[in-house]
Amino acid sequence: MKSPLRIAIVDDEPLARGVLREMLAAHDDIEIAAECANGFEAVKAVAEIKPDLLLLDIQMPKLDGFDVLELVGREIPVIFVTAYDEFAIRAFDVHAVDYLLKPFGADRLADALLRARARIASRERPVVEPLLTAARSDRSPLQRILIRNRADVHVIPVTKIDYLESQDDYVAVRAGGKTYLKEQTLSELETLLDPSAFVRIHRRYILNLSRLSKLELAVSDSRIAILTDGTQLPVSRSGYARLRELL
Amino acid sequence: MHPILGDRQRLLVYLVAWQLLGLLLTMGLRQGASWVEAAAFFLPLCAIYAFVCLSAWYLCRAFPMNTATSIWNVLLAYAASAAVASLLWVVSAMGWAMTLKLALDIDGPTRLYQEQLLLLFVLGVLLFWLAAACQYMLMAFQASRDAETRAIELDLLAREAELRALRAQIDPHFIYNSLHSISALTASDPAAARRMCLLLADFLRETLRLGSSARITLGSELALAERFLAIEQVRLGARLQVAQETDPQAIECLVPPLLLQPLVENAVVHGIGQLIEGGTIRLAAMRDGQTLTITLDNPCDPDRARTRGVGLGLELLRKRLTTQCGVYDAVRASEEAGRFRVEVRMPAVTTP
Repeated sequence: MKSPLRIAIVDDEPLARGVLREMLAAHDDIEIAAECANGFEAVKAVAEIKPDLLLLDIQMPKLDGFDVLELVGREIPVIFVTAYDEFAIRAFDVHAVDYLLKPFGADRLADALLRARARIASRERPVVEPLLTAARSDRSPLQRILIRNRADVHVIPVTKIDYLESQDDYVAVRAGGKTYLKEQTLSELETLLDPSAFVRIHRRYILNLSRLSKLELAVSDSRIAILTDGTQLPVSRSGYARLRELL
Repeated sequence: MHPILGDRQRLLVYLVAWQLLGLLLTMGLRQGASWVEAAAFFLPLCAIYAFVCLSAWYLCRAFPMNTATSIWNVLLAYAASAAVASLLWVVSAMGWAMTLKLALDIDGPTRLYQEQLLLLFVLGVLLFWLAAACQYMLMAFQASRDAETRAIELDLLAREAELRALRAQIDPHFIYNSLHSISALTASDPAAARRMCLLLADFLRETLRLGSSARITLGSELALAERFLAIEQVRLGARLQVAQETDPQAIECLVPPLLLQPLVENAVVHGIGQLIEGGTIRLAAMRDGQTLTITLDNPCDPDRARTRGVGLGLELLRKRLTTQCGVYDAVRASEEAGRFRVEVRMPAVTTP
């Protein structure tokens, strides 16, 4: 016998979780590993329980289905479950296994599960991040940054960011005296942020313009940006040119 | 239809104008004949020629100002028709002068004008052209008035269409989600599934019914909102709480149908729906003398991703209240301490 497919159900509506539970009960080869009422619980479940498949609602508070996919999509295949057909194209852009439109019947769900099994058997792990970036162009400029630290998720509104610092394959997001590490390149983030509010002042730094207090001339015509909280950041020559354009 | 012949009042004005012209000619071209003689000649002549000149209208219509007809064609047409008309004028002048002489023994006109046929002819041509110019002006005036009326009609039609679309706007996702809830309940709680079916059917029927009336009482609007919230409560469970406070005088006031619906929908979708813990939607309606104030506030996530939807809904409502009730600035929205609040103020009316 096949090993059971361990599924996490993610939906903020109890009834919607109920209908999935009921329909999945008819499948012997399925085990419901977790039921999550929001995106945070979903990320936590993925980190701790490591299910094989997510049945993921899109419209959810704070973290929607696409947010969850951005955070965990590299680890787990996803079937979207939603009443909104207008997200379908975006869903396939981010390599969702399938897209179930509410209300759906047991047959349609069985279909989707077959696809998921095929996807898992092929061991295909789509590279989600760059695709998500493309899919998000409709939401640009970015309004908030999602950061995952194993089971925990931080949602940081871009207005609360002081500056971003590149650290190898990560970006350190500094906001309100705290630092969060996000697995993304600084250049990728730069393309997503509002160019009138965030400036690449240096190869390694992006500054929230509203945090800039003053610019000081340092040695050998390089400059230093002093932030409202006193932090000092280097400003490169091209960074200074970009700043001058905006100020 | 001829614009002058077809309108008794215009015809009268036109004929009076021609008689004034006749008086002018009497004064200007009397040339020694007595006043009475000259008037007896010119006034009837002008009355006849007035009708001849009405034919210029057909010429005006054949060569409207704004079309690209060759100018030579137009000039030729006007010269030819003016010549024909003027010949009629001269012939009738001669005839009338003769008649006056034979019948009434007034021989002034014959004496005067028999020698001046050319002058009469030129006069006839000029008068015809003058009449044509006047009718062109009339045509332009009528065209601009028609355009104005058409613009108003179009505007009304557009507004009507917009309102129709507004009334028809039941968010399809609301229906899909509700059906999904019913689908979930059929197995776990058939009685609840049936209740939900009835709620949904009532809501849809009421929306369509109320949407087709011009004004409904705030009471019916509130009842509709309650149904909507009851359905959403089935879906969202304890996350959605509702508190209502309405003053009995307020619920008798008349409002445009589906005034609250988009607001309540926003409160659920963009407010409660974006909060993990949910919260309470507060709905209040007060009447203070001549003013009806409806307020709706809901908890919201201050860090939520902003969507265009809410602003658009409020803008549509604002427009509706302006076009339908003539109230400007009736809708005010504000956000404070994690609560989104919309206030609608409009005149309290209880009779249509």
